[in-house]
Amino acid sequence: MIRFENVTKTYKGSTVALRDITVEIEKGEFVFLVGASGSGKTTFIRLLLREELPDSGQILEAGRNIVELPKWRVPYLRRNIGCVFQDFRLLPNKSVFENVAFALEVIGRPRHVVANQVPQVLDLVGLSGKRDNLPSELSGGEQQRVAVARAFVNRPLILLADEPTGNLDPQTSQGIMQLLDRINRTGTTVVVATHDEVLVDKMRRRVIELSNGMMVRDQARGVYGFDGAAQQTVDVAAGGMG
Amino acid sequence: MAVSVDYVVRETASNLWRNRLMTIAAVLTVAVSLSLVGAALLLRQGSANATGTLERGTQVTVWMQPTANQQEIKAVGTELAQLNYVVQPCAYWDKARNFQEEGKLLPSDVVQATTVDEMPTSYWCTPVALSDAAQVVRAFEGAPGVLNVTEPQGAIHTEETVINIIKWVFLIVAIVLIVSASVLILNTIRMAIFARRREVSVMKLVGATNWFIRVPFMSEGLLQGFVGSLLAAGVVYGLYSFINHAGSGKTTSNLFTAMHMTASEMILTNVVVVFVGMAIGSLGSAVAIRRFLDV
Repeated sequence: MIRFENVTKTYKGSTVALRDITVEIEKGEFVFLVGASGSGKTTFIRLLLREELPDSGQILEAGRNIVELPKWRVPYLRRNIGCVFQDFRLLPNKSVFENVAFALEVIGRPRHVVANQVPQVLDLVGLSGKRDNLPSELSGGEQQRVAVARAFVNRPLILLADEPTGNLDPQTSQGIMQLLDRINRTGTTVVVATHDEVLVDKMRRRVIELSNGMMVRDQARGVYGFDGAAQQTVDVAAGGMG
Repeated sequence: MAVSVDYVVRETASNLWRNRLMTIAAVLTVAVSLSLVGAALLLRQGSANATGTLERGTQVTVWMQPTANQQEIKAVGTELAQLNYVVQPCAYWDKARNFQEEGKLLPSDVVQATTVDEMPTSYWCTPVALSDAAQVVRAFEGAPGVLNVTEPQGAIHTEETVINIIKWVFLIVAIVLIVSASVLILNTIRMAIFARRREVSVMKLVGATNWFIRVPFMSEGLLQGFVGSLLAAGVVYGLYSFINHAGSGKTTSNLFTAMHMTASEMILTNVVVVFVGMAIGSLGSAVAIRRFLDV
């Protein structure tokens, strides 16, 4: 579903954000992207959304090389990728329903599709009762659920989450993770960039760790910190794949 | 991908409402500037009509001395017949004819005080172009037996000059205002883009096409230009009605009558006005979108 081949990304001022990353994420996988601030997690996400282009290397998504995608095709690429952020990015003057519907309207989905899909996804995230509330009337966790609903309403192949629980308390965070897990079980590939150790340890999913732009760990059922007991660690330096 | 009309109408309306003060300012500036453009165009047409009307009526008259002898009268006649810048032949009015015409123009007591013999003879010539009249004046003023050479429509020069000056002043002011109208539209679109930056970022995130994002802003600018130009078209129509009304039923020596314009001339002017208005609107929003909307 996602394949990075020798991807390097440098920002102005010669900060190396990602250095020669090669990794493959299969369809339907749930992957945590961990690492300290500035380790390259956000760059990883931005490259997947094609908000950035790598300096070198190939990025394949659903079999397509997105580096060579012409600019006018980028919106169509993004329709297959849902994305959730730490700051929710909801529209404050639109209700919960309208926020989710907006994602369908602006890609030209007909009204009956909107009327059909939005209640379904609000039901999935457990906000059917708050469809007419404004984001300001919701708790942080509920706002993030709306954001997840908006990202998922178009049934994307991939769901990206950049620090989705960064603004939430541990219990609410866990609820969001369970929601992402549920979405993953529908067959959607989920990539979560986080430094929420407790959650990563609890979920026991594949963990890719970045440090100073380099991939230092790729572990199939990992925890946040290095877990010596896990035997499936891949020797990245040798270029192997898990 | 099809951009739904419903969506564009809704977004444009809410943008305009949110920025209503700026919108009104932009629309009014467009209206004022295009009113001036339209008025200048209409006056240009009117003065062209007036020149045509007056030219047709313009005659240069060579008045002979009442005492001029037949030889002198004949010499002037022969010379006039050779000119290629007057329409041949020139009409010759003898003393009797001039006395008769004078009788129609002057009060009877004045006419009674003069005799046929005291009247001059005259040649009435129509120049090929209005500007040739002065040449006739120069050629015959002071010739033997010539009393004077008159250019009866000399006044039209002043009137034409006035129309010309008004026309240029209107055009220059209009150009300045057109530029400021474009800048005002650019600024309203910029404010609209700024007000909607969250929406725009979400739209980009969920995969709205660039055109889908741009169209509401473009239609907003276009609409402002269009509404402004409609107001201006109304002003142009008012000016047209005023000129034609003020000039109706008068002789061609009345400037407004001479300027008389047809409805098709007015409609053509308004088509230009509306076209320019929409061009201003599109230009303003296109520049704003290029510079401030990063899609």
